[in-house]
Amino acid sequence: MLFGRKKKNPIKIADKKVAEWKYTTCGYCSTGCSIEVGLNDQGTPVATRGVGSADVNRGKLCVKGIFEHELFKSKGRGNEPLIRQHIHNAYQKTSWEDALNTTANEIKRIQGTYGRDAFAIISTGQLMTEEFYTLGKLSRGVIGTNNYDGNTTLCMASAVSGYKRSFGSDGPPGCYDDFEHTECLMAFGSNLPEQHPIIFWRLKQALEKRSFPVIVVDPRVTMFSQMADMHLAITPGTDVVLLNALAHVIIDEGLADTDYIKNHTSGAETFEKLVAQYDPVTASKICGIDEDTIRNVARLYAKADAAMSIWTMGINQSTHGSDGVVGINNLNLITGNIGKEGGSSLSITGQCNAMGTREWSSCSGLPGYRVLENPEHRKEVADFWNIDPEFFPKQRGLFQTDIFPAIETGQIKGLWLIATNPMTSMPNTARIRKTLEKLEFLVVQDSYEDVETTQYAHVYFPAATWAEKEGCFTNTERRVNIVRKVTEPPANAKADLWIFNQMAKRFEQSAKMQFPETSAEVFNEMRQLSKGRLVDISGMDHDLIEQQRGIQWPYPTTQNDANSPADNPHHKQDKDNSRLYTDGRFQYADQKAKLISLPFIDNNEVPDQEYPFWLNTGRVVEHFHSRTKTGKIGNCNKFSPTPYMEINPDAALELGIEHMSYVRLVSRRGDAIVLAQLTQRVPHNMIFVPFHFHDCVNRLSLGLLDPHSRQPAFKQSAVRIEHVDQQEAAQLNVEMRNF
Amino acid sequence: MFTVRDDEPDYAFLEKKQHKDKNQYGKLIELVEKSSALAGQSLNINNDPAVGDNPDRYKQHGFHFTADNCIACHACEAACSEKNDNPPHLSFRSVGYVEGGTYPAFKRLNISMACNHCDNPVCLKGCPTRAYTKFAEYGAVLQDPDICFGCGYCTWVCPYNAPQLDPIKGQVSKCNMCVDRLEVGLKPACVSACLGGALEFGVVENTPKNREQAKITLPGFPTNEITHPNIRFQQVKSLPREMTRTDSIPIKYHKDNKSKQYKPIVDTKKGLTRHWNLDKLHSREDPLVIFTLITQAVIGAFILLTGGSLLGIDPISQITQSKAYLPLLFGMLAIETFALVLSTMHLGKPHRFYRAFNNLRYSPVSREVAGVAVFFNCLAGHIFFTLLYGYFSTYTLLQTFAQLCAYLGIITGPIALYFMHKIYRIPARPYWNHWQVLTAFYGNMLTLGSILTAMVMLPFFRYDAAIYHPLLNITTLGIILGLTLETIGHIFHARDLRQQGGEGSASYYEQSTKFGYTWISRNILLILNLITVSVLSMLSITSLYIWYLVFISIILTAIVSRALFYVLVIPTTMPGAFFWKNKGFQEHARETGLANMPQVGVVPDTH
Repeated sequence: MLFGRKKKNPIKIADKKVAEWKYTTCGYCSTGCSIEVGLNDQGTPVATRGVGSADVNRGKLCVKGIFEHELFKSKGRGNEPLIRQHIHNAYQKTSWEDALNTTANEIKRIQGTYGRDAFAIISTGQLMTEEFYTLGKLSRGVIGTNNYDGNTTLCMASAVSGYKRSFGSDGPPGCYDDFEHTECLMAFGSNLPEQHPIIFWRLKQALEKRSFPVIVVDPRVTMFSQMADMHLAITPGTDVVLLNALAHVIIDEGLADTDYIKNHTSGAETFEKLVAQYDPVTASKICGIDEDTIRNVARLYAKADAAMSIWTMGINQSTHGSDGVVGINNLNLITGNIGKEGGSSLSITGQCNAMGTREWSSCSGLPGYRVLENPEHRKEVADFWNIDPEFFPKQRGLFQTDIFPAIETGQIKGLWLIATNPMTSMPNTARIRKTLEKLEFLVVQDSYEDVETTQYAHVYFPAATWAEKEGCFTNTERRVNIVRKVTEPPANAKADLWIFNQMAKRFEQSAKMQFPETSAEVFNEMRQLSKGRLVDISGMDHDLIEQQRGIQWPYPTTQNDANSPADNPHHKQDKDNSRLYTDGRFQYADQKAKLISLPFIDNNEVPDQEYPFWLNTGRVVEHFHSRTKTGKIGNCNKFSPTPYMEINPDAALELGIEHMSYVRLVSRRGDAIVLAQLTQRVPHNMIFVPFHFHDCVNRLSLGLLDPHSRQPAFKQSAVRIEHVDQQEAAQLNVEMRNF
Repeated sequence: MFTVRDDEPDYAFLEKKQHKDKNQYGKLIELVEKSSALAGQSLNINNDPAVGDNPDRYKQHGFHFTADNCIACHACEAACSEKNDNPPHLSFRSVGYVEGGTYPAFKRLNISMACNHCDNPVCLKGCPTRAYTKFAEYGAVLQDPDICFGCGYCTWVCPYNAPQLDPIKGQVSKCNMCVDRLEVGLKPACVSACLGGALEFGVVENTPKNREQAKITLPGFPTNEITHPNIRFQQVKSLPREMTRTDSIPIKYHKDNKSKQYKPIVDTKKGLTRHWNLDKLHSREDPLVIFTLITQAVIGAFILLTGGSLLGIDPISQITQSKAYLPLLFGMLAIETFALVLSTMHLGKPHRFYRAFNNLRYSPVSREVAGVAVFFNCLAGHIFFTLLYGYFSTYTLLQTFAQLCAYLGIITGPIALYFMHKIYRIPARPYWNHWQVLTAFYGNMLTLGSILTAMVMLPFFRYDAAIYHPLLNITTLGIILGLTLETIGHIFHARDLRQQGGEGSASYYEQSTKFGYTWISRNILLILNLITVSVLSMLSITSLYIWYLVFISIILTAIVSRALFYVLVIPTTMPGAFFWKNKGFQEHARETGLANMPQVGVVPDTH
């Protein structure tokens, strides 16, 4: 003691009395951080920490992960199954038996009356891979609806579609380790520090060791834009033009990797013809990036020994989303930057298990990156599941974003929503409300009974969340990691796997099929089905995954005994599995990647006199998706507890809008109340609104669909700004926030 | 001892390297010799008698913040709150920002700030309960919530908003430097959690790996001169000439051409329109408005009555000899008791009120409380002996005691008020840190003391059909003197605030806009009261109706004036964010009811 009292009390520092740490994997984004949850001696989860030995996060966690243990006891969790006759009735508590029977009967009734595809299932990126696989088996093999898709259509569909178009298969070819080797990194529509803080940390670590240029393409001055060596403040929705122009310069100036193009790609000729039209001068008028910058960036990227591109929703959530991904792939193909250290097209994924659903849920086809359109694939899976291959449709059905219009037009009468919240996440909320009202039967399966879609449901299934159950997630870099069960679900809530298995039992077809009860058994099924596929996981099992803190696929069975790989922890593969396509062989029949021409058609809803502002949407670090989870965790929510917009102070001055005052945003679809935050982060003709809030930005968004991926263009709509009575707006804002 | 994990990553361990002898303020970094009696002792963390083996245990430690790298990801704040189990409305560490430029040449500078474990811990010196200790171990300034009685004075004096007053628990808590982690060689939780490569920690003045600066200033960081904070900065990337704050504080930072430093100047962000905002005169310090005014009035009246009587001034002696004297004194005792209760209840933990005297050595709060307590006892003693003397008038010793109490009260009353004024002479609160506080307090003592006496005694005299204008003349003199003193103070205060820049000028800006009409009315009333009293007295007007009107006007003016004094102060704090640590949003959330949801992170108004 230097100053102060002579006789000191003991120093008190909060001690949560953690008795045991349990390994698990974070359930928020797709970074795939390994987490340990601390339980006190009563078995209550009281703390969270990052796992030091995990390669992905190396002990770090973001703000959401740090408070993830608070999820278990958060408000609004569903405890009992609920049921009601009509959506205007109040819910009654019921038994699982009743809830499941009613649902199964309604599915059968609707399918019997209107046809098999009149009942649709929309799933998520939030479940465990084993659950996705089981749901796929249930939807495709038992219930037999072709209108089954995931909410990944809202985030990753364009990446999936783009990968498939360029490489013949889905699957991000790179990994985080590429940051350590790359000589130029270009980020398109990705605000890494805010959206994927741990991946940003990995990048920052690489930059601390070795400086290399970072180029960020974003219409907004995000922290990433600000930290980049070059910030390309692009006009929304015109990335394809920029990408074509970059390719133009690279080819025109002879900077392309002609050997790679010749040996590993097809379609170069038509591609070159198309990009010839996109000279930097022409392109600069469309995309808003001056011609010199385009040339500079093109040269920098092409001359780098290894260059990589990352992207997120700025590319995907656009009517040119799939094209944008293909454009990025084109750029990397012509510079030979695929499948090499530091050279990659790395899509930074969204939900914790968006990858798992892509690989195994059968949403867009059949498990293990198989497709319905391929008769061999249908037969393989049908035989494995012990069903008639003819039971499968021969073509993929509706995408998630097409299922809602099909309800609107009356083709679909019943819907099962699983861990997704279209009332907040889908564009044009008013239209979604009308759509949901039309359903004869809606069952909502979610961890939270206050998720807004329950307003329109007839049956509600309370589901376990995250580490209240066991199973795997696959992350952005194809790393399969395991979520271990840390605590019991509340009251009568059940694991999604249990719900799917119980539902299967209520359909005759399942009698001859296997629906294993534990996720480890399900994983074994998937291993067998993955053999020889790109997404080969046959060398893994749950224990080995935990031991290695996650394993990247492909990870085939090797010389070791495949049935129990965990028996031999030193079991190593003969081949490095961190990157795909290292041999330059792709999944197309000719083993070549395609260079695809991307003509640009400007179909965005651009600002005009009536609606003079671009409406840009995006995330903030403290919230996850539709805020059902983070909106209740005070230490996350407090950083943005209520909706706001960023508006340029000059534009605000012209309109007479004050900082921290309410305004009403109006689009061709509806209106929304937000607080105004004046900042030069956004240009004069753009506002930015975080998308997390219910009854807010998606009342405004148009969400024009991408022709390939059917992903909505959330980030390009037009709005005008109206004044509101401040007190009424404040009142309305409070009323619209239940959490 | 804190458990170090087997797989603890390297970045979590403190760096071991050579340290400098002295810090940039000239203070030794080695806080005590290894041979000192203070060395080798256990920190006794949660009653653990173990002694940490950190080789740098007796060196001043501090945070190092590379502002260029902070991405405002909140990981540091979250890690801190997770470790210390803090509810959403509290945070030992907070991230705010300043920003500038024009799109796309725009820069946001995020600032993550916790306690700076200062060389001169003003929190420790200000705390009346001695809840604070600056430890020889790591130079950590730690606060013990079990000692704290929740007066919040440390939150006033700290220039960085480090101590956190929890209105729910009624106590302060703050950053503990994670001394439990330091003992085993680990960096604090916030530093280990940093994702941008911004936060570092170690022996102060050590520049961390890959960093080249250890500056003591940063745009948006309050002056380091008050406390010599143990934080060092790196900020090498160029910034726009002007950086603004997004929170409601009307301050921005402008680069000085000569010094290249950013200076806080007024940001007229809410325009120049004048408002009344009478409803916003309320604050958490409302009890202090009443307490200070009553105490000043009672001290004033006591001096007037006892002093006047001792000097043999006629109308006063008349009072002291009248039947009304004791009831008047009892009345004064009653309202002073009320005031003391009010100020005690204003504490987070009123039952710990007796701890207020614990820091007479440093804290003006302790000294003020002691002063007022002595005065209160003099008042009570004077009453007691006067009362006894009334019954046993033969014992002149009783009268002597009563007189002794009076003398003592006359001396200690103004001393108490002097320390009361010292409470507000806080460098981190420039609006208060002006001699005007003293003139206002002494002015009010004269004015309100005279009014208190007059308002009670004039009707009494009149009822008794006695001549009362001599008393009126004397009290009028006190009022005129008091009002003049107060007015002079206000004039110089306003002039100095305008000139000084920074938070003082920002207060002046709010004074003349947000509370513009209220402030101007106060000024006009003050002058008008002064003129009216002088004119009435010159014209020898004796109508009690008129005088009462004037008295009430003076009292109202004093109340508004004191309320303004509390609501107008703008402390030198860290910039907030748009929601978090934004006073404007906090007020809004309370007004609209958003604050009723605990996850909003704003505690609803409890009074």
